[in-house]
Amino acid sequence: MSLFWQTLICGLLLGGMYALIAIGMTLIMGVMKIINLAHGALVMVGMYVTYVCFHYWGIDPYAALFISMPALFFLGCLIQKYSINTLIGKESILPENQVLLTVGIMLVLTETMRMIFGSDYKSVHTSYTGSSFFVGDVSVSIPMAIGFVIAMVFTYALHIFLTKSDIGRSIRATAQDKEAAILMGVNANKITIITFGLGSALAAGGGTLLIPIYYLFPDIGHAFVAKSFIITILGGMGSTMGALFGGLTLGIAESFGATYISMGLKDVVGFVIFIIVLLFLPGGFKSLTKR
Amino acid sequence: MLKVNNIDVYYGEVQALWEASLEVDEGEYVALLGANGAGKTTTLNTISGLLRPKKGNIEFLGQDLNHVPAYKTAEMGIAHVPEARRLFPEMTVKENLIMGSLPQKAKNKRKESIDWVFALFPRLEERQRQEAGTLSGGEQQMLAIGRGLMLKPKLLMLDEPSLGLAPFLVDEVFKIIKKVNEEGITILLVEQNVVHALTSCTKAYILENGRITLQGKGRDLLNNEHIKEVYLGI
Repeated sequence: MSLFWQTLICGLLLGGMYALIAIGMTLIMGVMKIINLAHGALVMVGMYVTYVCFHYWGIDPYAALFISMPALFFLGCLIQKYSINTLIGKESILPENQVLLTVGIMLVLTETMRMIFGSDYKSVHTSYTGSSFFVGDVSVSIPMAIGFVIAMVFTYALHIFLTKSDIGRSIRATAQDKEAAILMGVNANKITIITFGLGSALAAGGGTLLIPIYYLFPDIGHAFVAKSFIITILGGMGSTMGALFGGLTLGIAESFGATYISMGLKDVVGFVIFIIVLLFLPGGFKSLTKR
Repeated sequence: MLKVNNIDVYYGEVQALWEASLEVDEGEYVALLGANGAGKTTTLNTISGLLRPKKGNIEFLGQDLNHVPAYKTAEMGIAHVPEARRLFPEMTVKENLIMGSLPQKAKNKRKESIDWVFALFPRLEERQRQEAGTLSGGEQQMLAIGRGLMLKPKLLMLDEPSLGLAPFLVDEVFKIIKKVNEEGITILLVEQNVVHALTSCTKAYILENGRITLQGKGRDLLNNEHIKEVYLGI
């Protein structure tokens, strides 16, 4: 029985960090109506920023959040303003040209990091990396527990921002009806830039929280883009709450897959869930709370 | 206050308005009437900057609107209550109202405006914590008007507020528009409900196939032979 609880707790903690990354993706998807396939690459860049902070300047990963998140917010704003937004309204053969552009951005970011840091695996080894505490006979990894708590704090802070501030409400309004939002005086163009920045910052936040328990290499972004996409579909596109529950679900499912099926097949579990959700609950968790 | 001067508006290659002109003075209650597809919504969307005229221009309070971005027209005092209400369905009634008061001037009076809107539509106060998407059609229309009023606008543009409402609610909506106009807010109303609009407005324009074909005082137009035949079926 303790193996069961061990697996559950481990999955839950991991899922909280996945959720933070996926919430970033779902925010962008809500406002821009596109899947940001560069999202995983933004997680990866955020992780490298943290790696540099730790390796060269000795800054603790959790303190590095204050560097990696603003840095990626800025990078996200630039990408949206000078790259994606310039494509809106341009005629193209494929209507998905913005999605294709995000693939290009992903490649540029990945290869740029490879150029600077090489393809080698890096890791951030802090004094607490391997340490854990016990609850009953379940051992809880300290960096995972801290990561989970910080991820939940960020999620809650984002929720407050989206519901209580004018900019936050404008982001939601733009996602629900862009033209009506413009009539209310919302500068929708500016909102897309802020949203992409915010989504990127959350990606960096998730990446930074994962770094004490993960390896880092330029292609790690692919795994996160797949996870975020599964979570977003699971939660219902554009829904923050859905992404939170989707993240926790995926984390727990992966953890059980690794324990009870096979370590090598844990990523398969996510895709199986993905297909089941598409078949039986295409609206995701979000559709369960609606009439 | 508002002058639309000879505008031509296109959707891609298709022309929707031909040299349309209209004028709204301060305090007036102007109706823009016509059948489906006549270009009424196009006119309002061009005034609020969602569409741009290919020819002609629009002036509001002496300022040329042709190069003002759409999101700035709200700040200038134009509230546009769009066709089909266009509420934010997953936001609460109160949040929808708050969204109507984003520009700084309106934001300063947000509390006061909410009380004013709740006094006009007591129903909205009861439902303030409910999501807008769960309201009935009539309540949604009230919320859409209320959201427009939150701006404390100089000009309130209403696009078919009676669309899809039960007859007693239509009366109610027209009463409220009259009341808002009496409080000093200039109204530009787009309607298909010709009788209702003509009996309550001060001035009306008739739009047919993208051209303004008739204009005059509401009462006078009610007795116009063409209007009687085409719109009233008498």
